[in-house]
Amino acid sequence: MAKGIGKIKIRLPRRYHKGDVIPVKALITHPMETGFRKNKKTGKRIPAYYINDVSVYYGGELITHMEWTIAVSANPFMTFYLKADKAAPLKIVWKDIKGKQFEKTVQIKPQ
Amino acid sequence: MKELKRISRRQFLLMTGLAAGAIIASPSVDGLFKSSVAEAAKPEKEDIRDVLKKFFDGRKINYSRVKLKTPIIAENGAVVPITIKSDLPMQKDHYVKKIYIFVDKNFHPFTASAELTPANGKAALSLRIKMRKTSNVRVIMETNKGELYGAKKMVKVTIGGCGG
Repeated sequence: MAKGIGKIKIRLPRRYHKGDVIPVKALITHPMETGFRKNKKTGKRIPAYYINDVSVYYGGELITHMEWTIAVSANPFMTFYLKADKAAPLKIVWKDIKGKQFEKTVQIKPQ
Repeated sequence: MKELKRISRRQFLLMTGLAAGAIIASPSVDGLFKSSVAEAAKPEKEDIRDVLKKFFDGRKINYSRVKLKTPIIAENGAVVPITIKSDLPMQKDHYVKKIYIFVDKNFHPFTASAELTPANGKAALSLRIKMRKTSNVRVIMETNKGELYGAKKMVKVTIGGCGG
């Protein structure tokens, strides 16, 4: 399960114009352990391990900041909206409770 | 013949006595065992009313203008897709500042929050959440002027998602 932590897939619409409100879909690979689950073989509890902080920057400006808890599904999939009024990089940064930080940048190119 | 009868009677009484004792004793012993195990395995529950009071300080929540789309029956509580939409404005002077998501019967009802800015263009969000059992999903939007709008919807869960 630990494999692939820190991967993200970001999907944007194929074509959009300047000023359009576009959906940004992101799928992050992360186990999002609750801390309640047990390993069935050993009976030991699996420690909690989840993403608790997600930030979205558009052109260097923080536009969305999310706070998550254990009740967000494993491999979180989110959709948020963005007003594409300039050609600028969109950066998504997420942190988990072990202090690991990941980020990915995509270019917003309105036509 | 007499002797045998007496013995059998004594045995009978002894047996019934034992059986009754066992029956009386068993549920209490069983119950005790179960409750102690349950306490060890389950975390402390938070009541949704207390949580709402903690987050919003008793301010009135207007259950309108927010649309919450969820499945009516979630087959798997570990993955419940929810979509939040609203007709609230996203202008520079009046916008949705924060969206809160709560699941009433999870041990910790607070699920996620998202701080938005006018650059989002739209007060909307989709996320997949976990639900322990059938309960209300509650979404509350806070505008920059301090107004609270919300929506709630019952979702039936057939398999719980928080691993218990």
